[in-house]
Amino acid sequence: MLKLKINNEDVRVPEGITVMVAARMKGFDVPSMCYRDGKPHFTSCMICMVKDNKSGKLFPSCSVKTVEGMDIITRDEEIEESRKTALELLLSEHTGDCEAPCQVTCPAHMDIPLMNRLLAEGNFEAALEVVKRDIALPAVFGRICPAPCEGACRRKTIDSAVSICLLKRYAGDHDMDAAHNYLPEKAPSNGTKVAIIGAGPAGLAAAYYLQLRGYQCDVYFRGRQPGGSLWTEVKRGVLPEHVLEYEIGRIREMGAWMYPDTYVDPEHFREICRKFDAVLVATGSGETGVETWGLEMTDKGIAAGKSSYSTAHEKIFAAGSAVRNSKLAIRTLGQGKEAAFSIDQYLQGEVVTGEPFLFNSRFGKLLPEEFPEYLKESVEGIRLEPAAPSKGFTKEEVMQEAARCMHCDCREIIDCKLRLLSDEYKASQKRYWSEDRRLVRKRHFGSPKMKESLPAGNGGGSGSILKASEQNRNIFVIYEPNKCIKCGICVRITEEHRERFGMSFIGRGFDVVVGVPFGEALENGLEKVALQVVEECPTGALTNR
Amino acid sequence: MGEVAKMEEHYKEIEQIVEKLGHDPSAVIPVLQAIQAKYNYLPEEALRRVCEVSDITPAMITGVASFYSQFRFSPAGDHMVKVCVGTACHVKGAEQVYDALRRKLGMEGGTDTSADGKYTVEKVNCLGCCTLAPVVQIDNITYGHVASAAVGGVLSDFEKVKDGGVKQRFRKSSGEEIQGEIRIGLGSCCVASGSDEIRDAVKNTIERNSLNVKLKHVGCVGMCHQVPLVEVVPAEGEPILYSKVKSVDVDQIVRQHFQPAGFWKRMRGQVVNALENVVDDGKWSGVDRYALNVREKHVAAFLDRQVPVATEYRGVINPVDIEEYKERQGFLAFKKSLGKAPQKIIDELRESGIRGKGGAGFPTATKWQMVADQKGPKKYVICNGDEGDPGAFMDRMLLESYPYRIIEGIIVAGYCTGSDEGILYIRAEYPLAVSRIQEALDRCYEHGYLGKNILDSGFSFDLRIYQGAGAFVCGEETALIASIEGKRGFPRMRPPFPAVSGLWEKPTLVNNTETFAQIAYILRYSSNSFNSVGTEHSKGTKVFALAGKVARGGLIEVPMGITIREVVEEIGGGVANGRTFKAIQIGGPSGGCIPARLADTPIDFESLTGVGAMMGSGGMVVLDDTDCMVDIAKYFLSFTQNESCGKCTFCRIGTKRMLEILVKITEGKGTMKDLDELENLAEWTAKGSLCGLGKTAPNPIKTTLAFFRDEYEAHINGTCPTGKCKELIHYEITDDCIGCTLCAQDCPVNAIPFAPHEKHEINLELCIKCDGCRQVCPEDAVIVI
Repeated sequence: MLKLKINNEDVRVPEGITVMVAARMKGFDVPSMCYRDGKPHFTSCMICMVKDNKSGKLFPSCSVKTVEGMDIITRDEEIEESRKTALELLLSEHTGDCEAPCQVTCPAHMDIPLMNRLLAEGNFEAALEVVKRDIALPAVFGRICPAPCEGACRRKTIDSAVSICLLKRYAGDHDMDAAHNYLPEKAPSNGTKVAIIGAGPAGLAAAYYLQLRGYQCDVYFRGRQPGGSLWTEVKRGVLPEHVLEYEIGRIREMGAWMYPDTYVDPEHFREICRKFDAVLVATGSGETGVETWGLEMTDKGIAAGKSSYSTAHEKIFAAGSAVRNSKLAIRTLGQGKEAAFSIDQYLQGEVVTGEPFLFNSRFGKLLPEEFPEYLKESVEGIRLEPAAPSKGFTKEEVMQEAARCMHCDCREIIDCKLRLLSDEYKASQKRYWSEDRRLVRKRHFGSPKMKESLPAGNGGGSGSILKASEQNRNIFVIYEPNKCIKCGICVRITEEHRERFGMSFIGRGFDVVVGVPFGEALENGLEKVALQVVEECPTGALTNR
Repeated sequence: MGEVAKMEEHYKEIEQIVEKLGHDPSAVIPVLQAIQAKYNYLPEEALRRVCEVSDITPAMITGVASFYSQFRFSPAGDHMVKVCVGTACHVKGAEQVYDALRRKLGMEGGTDTSADGKYTVEKVNCLGCCTLAPVVQIDNITYGHVASAAVGGVLSDFEKVKDGGVKQRFRKSSGEEIQGEIRIGLGSCCVASGSDEIRDAVKNTIERNSLNVKLKHVGCVGMCHQVPLVEVVPAEGEPILYSKVKSVDVDQIVRQHFQPAGFWKRMRGQVVNALENVVDDGKWSGVDRYALNVREKHVAAFLDRQVPVATEYRGVINPVDIEEYKERQGFLAFKKSLGKAPQKIIDELRESGIRGKGGAGFPTATKWQMVADQKGPKKYVICNGDEGDPGAFMDRMLLESYPYRIIEGIIVAGYCTGSDEGILYIRAEYPLAVSRIQEALDRCYEHGYLGKNILDSGFSFDLRIYQGAGAFVCGEETALIASIEGKRGFPRMRPPFPAVSGLWEKPTLVNNTETFAQIAYILRYSSNSFNSVGTEHSKGTKVFALAGKVARGGLIEVPMGITIREVVEEIGGGVANGRTFKAIQIGGPSGGCIPARLADTPIDFESLTGVGAMMGSGGMVVLDDTDCMVDIAKYFLSFTQNESCGKCTFCRIGTKRMLEILVKITEGKGTMKDLDELENLAEWTAKGSLCGLGKTAPNPIKTTLAFFRDEYEAHINGTCPTGKCKELIHYEITDDCIGCTLCAQDCPVNAIPFAPHEKHEINLELCIKCDGCRQVCPEDAVIVI
């Protein structure tokens, strides 16, 4: 055993292990990307830097063995700066989107590519479930949303944007027509009560997501019908009344109680605040009288935290046009959802931070030479218009149009180390970004559908798949060198397993790429260990989702 | 032959190559070199075949072949045109020469080979002929002082001589009665400048006149600014050094010298008058023969401040003559060592204070001790001759001129450390060094200095050459070892140091060529003879390649502690062409620029590090007031960026981003914020990189920012003070124009209308700033604004 100090704690560790292993063994987090447990170090990513407290020098902890008497610091300001800089350098050549541009742009932050994939497969129920994670009123917004997402759609650069809004409408309409209307699985009732003042998009969304979490919502609003500003769309003839009623009905079915014709005066407001565990003010714009309720105001409306929606009174939250007038209903709808998150945080006794937004890698416009790469996962053809515009897409049309989606989102979005660390160390992708960026390239074998539809062991498919080994017959693998951080893990794994071709570093220095030798197909490079390689790739460069 | 038969023939050749060089993955680099030698590139079919008939995998062969810059994946032209872009060549306009060659050969876009398949043009880091800068090598013919306006002449000259068969062999000659000796420099600079031709001419003259004169080939004399050099040593009287000799002059020199006087007296008269011209090497073609007396002031100054240790007997000793080496106490140190305990010898080296000459200055004895202390039985000794530094050619010169001395140092190291196998790692770009060393190794085996039971001592040692394939990073010892093992030249973290776990995970001593070249001297004369020279912490001498804007460039060996001023002014004769000394770049891409005002800085490890530079491998490039410091920083960064192995994040991407910022600044598009970002990146690339290459890569930026920040700011404000940065300058013709049309004829893009007897004008829209017009103008009427 060796005696050393880690973060000023005296520790004893076995001989022969690295500083990284020792630190982790003692419960100190040391991040890494190129390191593989139990395998020789490669020292590429430089994220695992720690400090020798005696000399003040930084070194990669994966590659240095512990020595008696070492004094190691695993995290301080300088180490953080080092990791942040390394991440920023890696991000500066990382051409790829984490979340797709459409999702980033959507004020409700809906997972559009996932919806599209499910719609294209004809799995409409699952598609609706995905939509409803972020949009409580899909059929309504499928009709009234100005669809900022479509403005950001990468397909627009090639020919025309995917008709996202109408696709979403179909998901909602399909639910309306279906024999079994979708009701999400909600948490058991927790006996906590939340008052929501206002039944516009913000109030309704908040009610939906709070009910989902097991809270009891009482919704107070003026007028006979809930819906708030959405009624102007009904009056304009854009939104059929029954659609609005149906989707609000779903929220009622979730257990929210609606109190129509309620004019809340200051005294009533105080009473609500006394009676309820939390209150959301979502009264919208116009003459509402909130300024008399004793809340702190700005010149735009109620003073509330930008992402926390909390006001000076800890149990009172405010969202939507009551805080700042917005003409975009989808925005206030999204705020309602986010406010529900904050209220949940508050009622759980947590610090109210608001819904966290993870780091998102983004790059500029698609370049013409990248169009074919993106189209590899899509179909040709311009945007489909519904044969009967008033009815929206038919089932066939939906599947056809949804297939136009190019799936710009990263498949590794959940557990990409680069993303998680960039988030943790607050790295900025812009800092060292070069306009002369790497081009997107996509190589793949198999097809994503095969993975889900074919039982294991069943061969078949196109000629290229037949060439791959038995193991590869039923899997889908995609490689995007533009997301590679050159950690060499795939190179090392394929070498260990003596792949016939394997993966290799090609070139040197900044221009180095990882690829299959002699320009062989990806499947020939990964005949034996495709799944392991995919599993160990720290970013979304090699994935099978 | 049919296609199939041809293919089978090729396959057989590949199999033979593998059979000869080995099936093991460690043979991959020699195998690739052999294939490229055969086909002039690496055909994919050949590589696939190698994988089929050996244990080399496609991933290995691809990884290795694409790592080293020596290897090509597309056929090269019939002739290789190598444009040296080493530091000395860079400051003398190598980029423009490269552009001009490409233009002349009609190469556009990404191609590097002319459409007719005749020529391939490529940049090389350093041909090691810095004093002839800018240098262009076509096949094995080297052209020095090539101006961009003169590339047409170079190409047509090559067309004329290419079939003449330039011989690389050298022969011995001896007479029974020696009237005297004629020494011809055969270092690369001399050969490049035509000493081969001169040797033939001398030999002819001797034979024709039946003279009893000994014709002798000597290694580099060091006075590379005067090449080709011929030294005449009469039996009586003073030796006379003739510089810049042309073959047509040889007959006269030789006959007059070894026959009744007459000519000699006339020559002496000329020398005095001509000396000032001699030391100015500005013009290549216009120089006639001049004789130099070694005692003349300038020559004395060049040589007198120097202390030859590694370069002992410079210009005297025949590089490959083992008998002469022995006569001059060669192998004495080794023989003395054999009688002593290895520890005694290591102690003696410790006493001498010798430190590694590769750049970092690690105490040599400590390293030897570490290896000696390791348990055997297998240990290796490696001589690091992978000199990739642009603007340094010490290793090349030492390998070419003193092969036995280096071999002796290695054998002693083998004896002291308990090793029985050594490897000389020499870059493939130094063919002359490789062939000299090979010949010397053969002689050593013949004479029993290598092999089993050397000199009946019971000590056995084998030594062979390993040719590097072109990767600067392989100068780093762990990368060098990876390269010998047949891998990509990726460095790895130390510890473990190679002394503990090196080649094939065995204890390995890695020393620089120059370090080995100094061992014999120390052991022969005592440690005191070495440590009496130098400073407190930097003992002995150091060899430098002095080049750039200095009057007398060349290879110099100076005592540690000599000041920059002494080197530049006394040895180098000050800055050439009447310009002002601005800065000196020491240590190449890892080093820094030291401004003239710090010229009294002593040259030793600590002092150089103290001002932000570094001893590095010993390149010394003098810069004058016409050199743009931002451009210099950009030049070095583009070198290190290009040579980064790409393994670690900070170096791979950090150097690239720093270079981008520098490019932005030299194009006048930089901002003050870019300067901050540059400094920040410089700091982190230094702190975060895995190996020395990345850690020191920011030094040129850091030092120029520290000493010449105003120049960076000037660029940001839209001007390049020295008129070097293309994007920030334009050309104009002054009223001095005589309307001779030379510029109009030279302009490659017709930006100057042909208007005889009228003042010429430059169409700035068309001008590509190739500098051709300025070079050809006889009236200096073309100026840079």
